[in-house]
Amino acid sequence: MLKKKVIAACGGAVATSTIAANKIVELCKKNGIDVEICQIRISEIESNLEGTDLIVTTSRIKRDYGIPYVNGMAFISGIGEEATEAKILEVLKQ
Amino acid sequence: MNLLEKAVDVINNMGASSLLPLTVVFLSLCFGVKPGKAIRSGLMIGAGFVGINLIVEMMNSQLGTAAAKMSERFGLNLRVVDLGWQGASPMAWASWLSAIAIPLAILVNIVMLGMKLTRTVNIDLWNIWHMTFTGALAYTVTGKLWIGILGVAFHAAIVYKLGDLWAPFIGGYFELTGLTVPHGTASYMAPVACLTDWIIEKIPGIRDINFSIDQLQEKAGVLAEPIVIGGIMGTAIGLLAGDRPDDAFMLGIQMSAVMVLMPQIVKCIMEGLLPLSERAKKILSKRFGNGEFYIGLDPAVLLGDSQVVTAGLLFIPITLLIAMILPGNQVLPFGDLATISFFIAIAVAVHRGNLFRTLISGSLIMTMTLWITNQTIPWVTALAKSTGALSGDGLAAAMDQGGSPITYIFVELFQRDNLAGLLIISGIYIVCLAVSVKYSRAEKARGEDEEL
Repeated sequence: MLKKKVIAACGGAVATSTIAANKIVELCKKNGIDVEICQIRISEIESNLEGTDLIVTTSRIKRDYGIPYVNGMAFISGIGEEATEAKILEVLKQ
Repeated sequence: MNLLEKAVDVINNMGASSLLPLTVVFLSLCFGVKPGKAIRSGLMIGAGFVGINLIVEMMNSQLGTAAAKMSERFGLNLRVVDLGWQGASPMAWASWLSAIAIPLAILVNIVMLGMKLTRTVNIDLWNIWHMTFTGALAYTVTGKLWIGILGVAFHAAIVYKLGDLWAPFIGGYFELTGLTVPHGTASYMAPVACLTDWIIEKIPGIRDINFSIDQLQEKAGVLAEPIVIGGIMGTAIGLLAGDRPDDAFMLGIQMSAVMVLMPQIVKCIMEGLLPLSERAKKILSKRFGNGEFYIGLDPAVLLGDSQVVTAGLLFIPITLLIAMILPGNQVLPFGDLATISFFIAIAVAVHRGNLFRTLISGSLIMTMTLWITNQTIPWVTALAKSTGALSGDGLAAAMDQGGSPITYIFVELFQRDNLAGLLIISGIYIVCLAVSVKYSRAEKARGEDEEL
């Protein structure tokens, strides 16, 4: 399988996106998916779209970037984490 | 010298920035993190400290010098560069009070939950740096340990209460039911928005103005990106300082570098705290994770809202303008520019997305922030020096948390070098809080009505 590129974005590219990025890396490791995380601010998503397979943000974004999107708020709150993980896997396993 | 003082002395000599790594290794082990992972976490935090000191030094020597020259040429006074939260948070973590602050902040939360004084369960360990900052600032200024510890607890208690206060808005406008944002900047500045909203409601004509802009970010494109903001600001300030164009351009590139590298470096500290914070989160949400409680999160969860994004962009030039016209202002906003949304995110919800009102209350919020930031320059400078972020005779300022009314009021209570400032800011803030309680109740009732 090709290496997957996932954008993990939040407001400042420091606090919550680090949590999300780590969870995604662990999840992919467990499922044998080769993944590359691009951890950035939401305002920087547009410039990093090239080759991206999935976008995960820790806040709700209304904008459509034309790339599969999963809301990663569950990683921060700890509520509904498994459902989010399933959604991410569904996109990345394609 | 008693044992505690001796311990304090040893720790002080050890150098502040090596303490948190050790504490984190120790706490991580206590919480059941594997030794290898715990040691890696500690070193990661140390790496973050070393990196941030390099960046702050460069930012101050390059941008600070240019800003001083620019101010001289144009009769401005903007000599002190705002380090932003990326500069302020490592200072808080590097102060040795941080070792006490993490368990203390959690303890205050648990005690308040137990006594039913709050419904906010803060699982956001990262933002304990705000509480630590208040304590560290008070400790640095007064030299008294108990005042520093009290500062952490004071800030924590108030921010959890504010978490309760804003929960109806977070659940209402942002539709994040059951969540709240007990955050040192977002929560602290929102009472100003409530007072503004209340006043606007009283003025015929003005109260009917309502507009919002959805697609500003798409229109702004790369202009909205920190790397571009840094480049433009660096170059512009270089030119205004009278530098040769090639030198000004060089400054622009350096400031782009600051904007790009800062989060990368601060991320090390966050990564180091992660195993510990994941453990704490599991324990807290297991115990308090049902509907009776609000889960306290980082305001990052609010920043995707299009009105918050739009306001955050508009406030980059507005804040710079305020900095230029505010009488006596010495602070050049920089480090916080890319994340002004933190200051105004809850205001957007208070005004229900009405951008006109957000622009007014946001301007007041940034004016108040800058006003306070100016007064805390000597304190923040002292803290920066004690943690090694600043050397020589430079000055430091930070809008995020150096401009916080609660932090200011607490330290000034013990410092008492500007009684008028203390009274005015406390007075304004208490009125804002009173109106906020009213607003929060109304919002809560509204939410419950909708449910029925």
